[in-house]
Amino acid sequence: MNQFTFTGKQKTFTFSLMFVGLLTALICLFMKGDGLRFWSNFLHNTVFFVGISFISLFILCAKSLAYSGWQTVFKRVWEAMSLFMPIGVIFLLIITLGIKMGWHDLYHWADADSVAHDKLLQAKSPFLNFTNYFLFTLIVGGYWIFTMYAYRRLSLREDNNAGLYSFNKIKALAGVFLFAGGYLACIMIWLWVMSIDAHWYSTMFAWYSAASWLVSTIAFTVLMMIYLQGKGYFPKFTDEHMHDLGKYLFGFSIFWTYLWFSQFMLIWYANIGEETTYFKLRIDEYPVLFYGNLVINFLLPFFVLMRNSTKRKHGTMIFVAIFVFFGHWMDYFQMIKPGVVETEHHLAHAAHDDHGSDTKHLDDAHKDEHKKEDAHKDDHAGDGHDDTHGDGHGDAHEESLRWGFGMPGYIEFGMFAGFLGLFLFVFFTGLGRASLTPENDIYLDESYHHHA
Amino acid sequence: MKGKHKDILFGLYNDETELLDAVHTAHEDGLEIMDVYTPFPVHGLDEAMGLSESRLHIAGFVYGMLGIMTAFGFMTWVFTRDWPIIFGGKPYWSVPAFIPISFELTVLFSAVGMVVTFYVICGLGPGVKNPILHDRITDDKFCVAFETDGLAKDKIDGYRSFFSKTGASEVFEKNI
Amino acid sequence: MGHGIFVAPTRKPLVTGSKSYHDITEDICSPAEKAPSVAWVIGMLVSLGLVAFGGACLLITIWVGIGSWNLNRTIGWGWDITNFVWWIGIGHAGTLISAILLLFRQKWRTGVNRAAEAMTIFAVICAALFPGIHMGRIWLAFFIFPYPNTRGPLWVNFNSPLLWDVFAISTYFTVSLLFWYTGLVPDFATLRDRAKGMRKRIYSFLSFGWTGSAKHWQRHEYLSLVLAGLATPLVLSVHTIVSFDFATSVIPGWHTTIFPPYFVAGAIFSGFAMVQTLMIVSRKVMNLQDYITITHIEAMNKIILLTGTIVGCAYLTELFIAWYSGYIYEQFAFMNRAMGPYWWSYFGMMLCNVITPQLFWIKKIRRSIFWTFFLSIVVNIGMWFERFVIIATTLARDYLPSSWSYYWPSIIEIGVYLFTFGLFFTLYLIFSRVAPVVAIAEVKHILKYNGDQYLAKNREDYEAKTGVKVVLDEDKVTDDPNYEVDDQIDANDLDENN
Repeated sequence: MNQFTFTGKQKTFTFSLMFVGLLTALICLFMKGDGLRFWSNFLHNTVFFVGISFISLFILCAKSLAYSGWQTVFKRVWEAMSLFMPIGVIFLLIITLGIKMGWHDLYHWADADSVAHDKLLQAKSPFLNFTNYFLFTLIVGGYWIFTMYAYRRLSLREDNNAGLYSFNKIKALAGVFLFAGGYLACIMIWLWVMSIDAHWYSTMFAWYSAASWLVSTIAFTVLMMIYLQGKGYFPKFTDEHMHDLGKYLFGFSIFWTYLWFSQFMLIWYANIGEETTYFKLRIDEYPVLFYGNLVINFLLPFFVLMRNSTKRKHGTMIFVAIFVFFGHWMDYFQMIKPGVVETEHHLAHAAHDDHGSDTKHLDDAHKDEHKKEDAHKDDHAGDGHDDTHGDGHGDAHEESLRWGFGMPGYIEFGMFAGFLGLFLFVFFTGLGRASLTPENDIYLDESYHHHA
Repeated sequence: MKGKHKDILFGLYNDETELLDAVHTAHEDGLEIMDVYTPFPVHGLDEAMGLSESRLHIAGFVYGMLGIMTAFGFMTWVFTRDWPIIFGGKPYWSVPAFIPISFELTVLFSAVGMVVTFYVICGLGPGVKNPILHDRITDDKFCVAFETDGLAKDKIDGYRSFFSKTGASEVFEKNI
Repeated sequence: MGHGIFVAPTRKPLVTGSKSYHDITEDICSPAEKAPSVAWVIGMLVSLGLVAFGGACLLITIWVGIGSWNLNRTIGWGWDITNFVWWIGIGHAGTLISAILLLFRQKWRTGVNRAAEAMTIFAVICAALFPGIHMGRIWLAFFIFPYPNTRGPLWVNFNSPLLWDVFAISTYFTVSLLFWYTGLVPDFATLRDRAKGMRKRIYSFLSFGWTGSAKHWQRHEYLSLVLAGLATPLVLSVHTIVSFDFATSVIPGWHTTIFPPYFVAGAIFSGFAMVQTLMIVSRKVMNLQDYITITHIEAMNKIILLTGTIVGCAYLTELFIAWYSGYIYEQFAFMNRAMGPYWWSYFGMMLCNVITPQLFWIKKIRRSIFWTFFLSIVVNIGMWFERFVIIATTLARDYLPSSWSYYWPSIIEIGVYLFTFGLFFTLYLIFSRVAPVVAIAEVKHILKYNGDQYLAKNREDYEAKTGVKVVLDEDKVTDDPNYEVDDQIDANDLDENN
């Protein structure tokens, strides 16, 4: 079976997942009227799945430059995973449009009124503004998509043309992508995720979130390989390959933990207010997310995958991969949601200051008047994050119980299912469009005889 | 080696493929190989000889656990019982600050423990003098050795015919 | 093995010259068996000269105290800690090559791992000297260890990153030494079985009674693998902890969360550069071109390019986030680096670490002995500047403008630095005389997969089967300065311009 067929059953399954996603999204938007919850879920899932497709492409490029051969037998799986990228980038552009149209308040810096009153946001506004967000998402996203299609085209071209043309071209493409794609990924993470906590900053952040993507990608690969093998595909994918994927899952989980610890420990140790807010908020108000993150993403893979034999047992690998995949989804949840809630507090607070006016986008005249009125509050707002949500403190301790923000509720799981369905749909479609074995790949023989 | 001398019959092969074939043949013929000596680790030899998998990693895990408990336990005792110190407004028992040393000692205990265990169970160490069957074994010859102490002549001849059958380039007798 | 090899036809040979197992033994053992060459003797004399001059400076430092240095109240860390971090960084390539590349199955590591590990050990010795003498009273150095004492007992501060460093570096040194020596034991046995008389007795002692028994090899391989698994996080942890020395503080310019991975990348970067510098000389002097080929050099240049790019990414991240933080002291710290009194070291760092290594995108440069040697030295200078920028430049402009200062090393400080060079090269030269510089058993192990005679056969089979012509640039030819890379379809082409 060298050709994957996307069966009706699988289609029904992916469509039902998408339906569940759509349904929960609609419930959230219209029955609950909770726009913030919908949009934060939308951003969370989009970033998570875009990351997986980005990392799949990144791994393929890195492998080609490193002359790595063992993955060739299943490299089409990574290619198919990277195909989600265009949809993800379109979704991000929808979020961008949402910023412009005022559909959501995900980003504190996007609120003109807050920026007018907040020195830090003003200082950051040359970077954190709509135009940048839009242009970077469009251009960088476009470049990623271009590389993804170019890679795919070259890889498929090889199936009908033996020779080294694709082999060489892919290396050139990969060299540029590792360099430019990697650098630009940092900027995208700052814009998409780090800027949610608009006052906070960490130089490690981009590395940390990229590591989270990396582990999720490997976990997803493991699950898909076991599933596809169960269906009789990839007969030459052996335990040796699974063993190496297991090593990746183990090693990159430790790498993620290393970055997590370095970022946390340095901020904890130096104890500078501007930086500690991020962790203080999460430890005090979202302890389950904070500690659960470490248990699922470090302790579990570490102790289960330490032994060589477990990396070859499919049951164990499924168990770990599901937990870790979900764990990193939760990691993104805890990166995004608390910041969104903080922004909500800020905005509510600002509205309260505004003597009950609930208009968030003030006209210019009103703004000037407001500025004079609140002149005394400027230094108060500028010098720290903690003070600014004063009013929010009362209900702070209930954040961890707030469904959709402190804990994922059925809507979050539903929308996650929807995205997963869409991702799987694109994945299976892409997988079915080409031969599962890249017959003319120069490393195929090596890959067949791989020994871990 | 063990005080008592014994007679050895060994043959040298020129290539690891010949060696592997010979070991397989010996296995089929029911000959009991004393040991195989090679200039570098030959893949597939473990299975061919039926060697059981090494359990060094289990020892390493135990040593590592010992290391982490030593480090973490000691620091905990020092800073909560023996001489508490406040630094940077942190609690006495400040776990994140204990992690680097705990990690280092885990690795140290595990690595040193495993290396020492390795040399002890292999009977190797500074000043150890094991008998060397042939000078080229550490160069380019692959050696299969049989113990012939007190064996009947026809049995020894069986070994000799095994060597000629499997294409050994040279065959020697030695008392070690 | 032996039943057909499954290697891609584009793989370049890692052992050239159609070597047999015996050739490998002869070639690698012979430098240790012959009388020293003139080049070696000259190198040794120069190194010992440095040790003598630097040793005098070291004695003055210990006798007079660190008042003989030009450190002042504002700049309390200068050349000493800069050199310490620089040497530790250089000490990272060895264990990285042996451990991480072993786990990632990069076979070219076999050509260089032995020498790189030796380099690691010598570099760590040089590094450890600096914090030692920086304490001022080196005879009290044992105070840094936690031992029951009559002062209470007053323990060392386990919460201090400086103490973490003590543990990290001593663990790293111990584990690297064990790893290196365990790998050397079978090769010492090879030397033993070729030697006569006194040398035989010495090598008998050093080889621990190694026989090459199958069970021993099995355990030996297993041990190497597990040690590699342990050494991988260890090597990351060492420079991470060195970075904690700075990053746990609240000093703007030091306290930034990217320091750990960025220091590690920088360490690998400088470590590989030093391996290149040494290997390019060693392969020539010891006639090891068939074992340390242009392919090896190119692979290491790619790692230099990769880590140089990561380091560049970290520099830019730091610079950007310093602005983005909106924190004026952080912004000032970076302005000061680029435009303050030490601007030259900042631009030296950027030029040597970020810009010039990008030349390695060009294949011709990546495969050129001359350029590799030149750029490897440039990288080492750049990485020295990086540490100097981080340490001295940051300290020179502290909180009170009235205490701002400028620092320039005294002749004694320069002498101590030269001492470490002398020590490093003396140890390396001794090592190259007594031990095989290339891991004999490991090269034999990969011969049938990576020897040129086997790969050529493999390539012919592939060409016959598919009708595709695979062109590899011949390593030997590139040694020739007049060599031009031909523009046929080239299997090793990474350069996008082609």
